[in-house]
Amino acid sequence: MPGDNFQDQKVVTDDRELVQRAQAGDMAAFEELVRRHQRGLFSYLYRMCRNSSDAEEMAQAAMVKAWEKLGGFRGASSFKTWLYRIGTNLCFNLRTRRKPTEELTETMAAPDAERPERAYHQKVREDAVRNALERLPADQRAALVLSVYQDMSYQEIADTMGKTVRAVDSLLFRAKTNVRKALAEDRAKGII
Amino acid sequence: MSNNTMNCGQVRRLLPPFLDEELSGRVREQIASHLASCPACRTELEALKADIGLLEQVDTPEVTPFLATRVMAEIRQRGEPAPHGLARLVGSLAAALVVAVSIGAGVFFGFDLTQASTTVAANSTEAAVSYVESSAAGMYSMMSGGD
Repeated sequence: MPGDNFQDQKVVTDDRELVQRAQAGDMAAFEELVRRHQRGLFSYLYRMCRNSSDAEEMAQAAMVKAWEKLGGFRGASSFKTWLYRIGTNLCFNLRTRRKPTEELTETMAAPDAERPERAYHQKVREDAVRNALERLPADQRAALVLSVYQDMSYQEIADTMGKTVRAVDSLLFRAKTNVRKALAEDRAKGII
Repeated sequence: MSNNTMNCGQVRRLLPPFLDEELSGRVREQIASHLASCPACRTELEALKADIGLLEQVDTPEVTPFLATRVMAEIRQRGEPAPHGLARLVGSLAAALVVAVSIGAGVFFGFDLTQASTTVAANSTEAAVSYVESSAAGMYSMMSGGD
């Protein structure tokens, strides 16, 4: 079995090699891929669906689906963008099935309990940003989240979303314009 | 507004990819040159940076430490490794189909089920396996996402 001595390897193995091992049936290699990408994938899906239990459920479903489909993965894009694409499709399908009123937006706890005023302003700013993100159409939000929070290049975003680089540029321009407009309105109202 | 080859409107449209370092060297140089001589566009660039900075400050909750464990548990529970799934799927479907055909034939002809199933199974196994293999191959191909 190719992965029997996987744990003993000292070198950092890149995703491509792990994918090849996993395609040969090495579950330890696939588990390493899961551990590498779980945080980023969860973070992306959380920002897309705004609910941590939904995000965890979708991240798990995406990874299981990635294992099931791994035989068809030819490496034309990176494993990361391929995995995120599976997650994106699951997320868009969930959004389509679910009515807007069913979406459960979570508000995170204030991070700085010892300095309540500062914590309050931080929370207000974060809520304003979340609201601005929430108001974006799903494809604009996906592009923006992948760019700002996942630090993906336009090409990687295009691979993840199944779009051209030009389309991604356009989506990001519109997303940033819309977010800035929403933030400007909040500033004008004195909210932030 | 400066007398560069790009006007303010063109530069502002390109500020997001400029900040994201997605532009070619020549276009970048043109924008940088414009910004050097256009205070209004520099202000716009700083405002864009500040708003993106606000976005970056928003935290995400930590992922559960058990996610990977749960994923692997579900995969093991399903018990079908990706690359070998087709062979097992074909085998399982073929066996199930043979049994179903055998039972159906036995019930239909109304005679000794054991004898009938053996005969029918023997005759139908090859065709059934062939049919199931082609169906499963098509299904697997459909399930296997391109990349």
